[in-house]
Amino acid sequence: MKKSILLLIAAALFISAAGFGQSSSKLISTKTQIKFFSTTPAEDIEAHNTASVSAIDKSSGEVVFSVPMQGFEFEKSLMQKHFNSDKFLDTKAFPDAKLKAKITNLESIDFGTDGSYPATVKGELTIKEKTNSISESGTVTVKGNTVKVGSKFDVTLADYGILFKKGKPASNIAKTVEVTVQAEYQ
Amino acid sequence: MKRKKVLRIIAILGVAGLLIGGGIGIYMFNMPQRDVQSTKTDYSFSSSQLVKEYLNDKDAADQKYLASDGDSKILEVTGVVNKITEDFNGQKVVFLKDKQDLAGVSASFTSETESTLQGITVGEPVTIKGVIRSGAAYDEDLGFYLNVVLEKSAVI
Repeated sequence: MKKSILLLIAAALFISAAGFGQSSSKLISTKTQIKFFSTTPAEDIEAHNTASVSAIDKSSGEVVFSVPMQGFEFEKSLMQKHFNSDKFLDTKAFPDAKLKAKITNLESIDFGTDGSYPATVKGELTIKEKTNSISESGTVTVKGNTVKVGSKFDVTLADYGILFKKGKPASNIAKTVEVTVQAEYQ
Repeated sequence: MKRKKVLRIIAILGVAGLLIGGGIGIYMFNMPQRDVQSTKTDYSFSSSQLVKEYLNDKDAADQKYLASDGDSKILEVTGVVNKITEDFNGQKVVFLKDKQDLAGVSASFTSETESTLQGITVGEPVTIKGVIRSGAAYDEDLGFYLNVVLEKSAVI
């Protein structure tokens, strides 16, 4: 009887230790920047978002970004209103975008040694509740206790149901925009 | 003679219309961003109240606080300063959170409002005015709670 209780305690300790182990392998970032850049003969449009939150699991290679869409700041007020409106990103109905991916070359990244490591990720990007698979490359930089991640990739707006019918925004926004992501994890 | 006069009036009206229309167009195109700090506050509460409202029903809270054109509600939030950090643009970010709460309020300042942070210390209560960008929620993929985000904030 006593033995089984001891075993139970041992098992409980083991499980909680495993749980702790898991959480300590997770890096969290609230210091992020997502930039998008669109260029057409009519004009260049750029927007910045510093409100995203991200996590990387060092042991599984899982990468997640949660992006509050109303956090994109434009130089011009009208651009920001167009971006948020129900004709485009409809940020009131779809307040968040999400990137869920996995580092596919985890074995070549040493989170314990300072250095810059090329990384490839595969996963899904969800904008306006439309999900597409993505496969991108980026860099993981380790320096002391901080890990930085950077990547640049293209997003085709039509893939996410962002369609321009007519009017000014249709001629002034590129069909494919360049997205630059950087994040600093602790 | 009379016809000429009418034509002239039409031409003047046309040009005036074009000028006014064009002027409005240029103004709309270059319209500056809303000045959050000089705009009237829509709601005032504690960081705990706001976080609880979001965790209770995020969709309802989004409906209440987010505007479809992005000019969302302007809030005054009172809470205890948990930490002060800096974002990639070098802007200060103040995180308000009460110990017993599952999430807090993250408020980013601008170069114009940074001076209002003078004398603010971690552990002290403070009231911050800013525009809401997103609400608090548990994120299953991240495995933790997301905070309410305020931007263009200032201590008042």
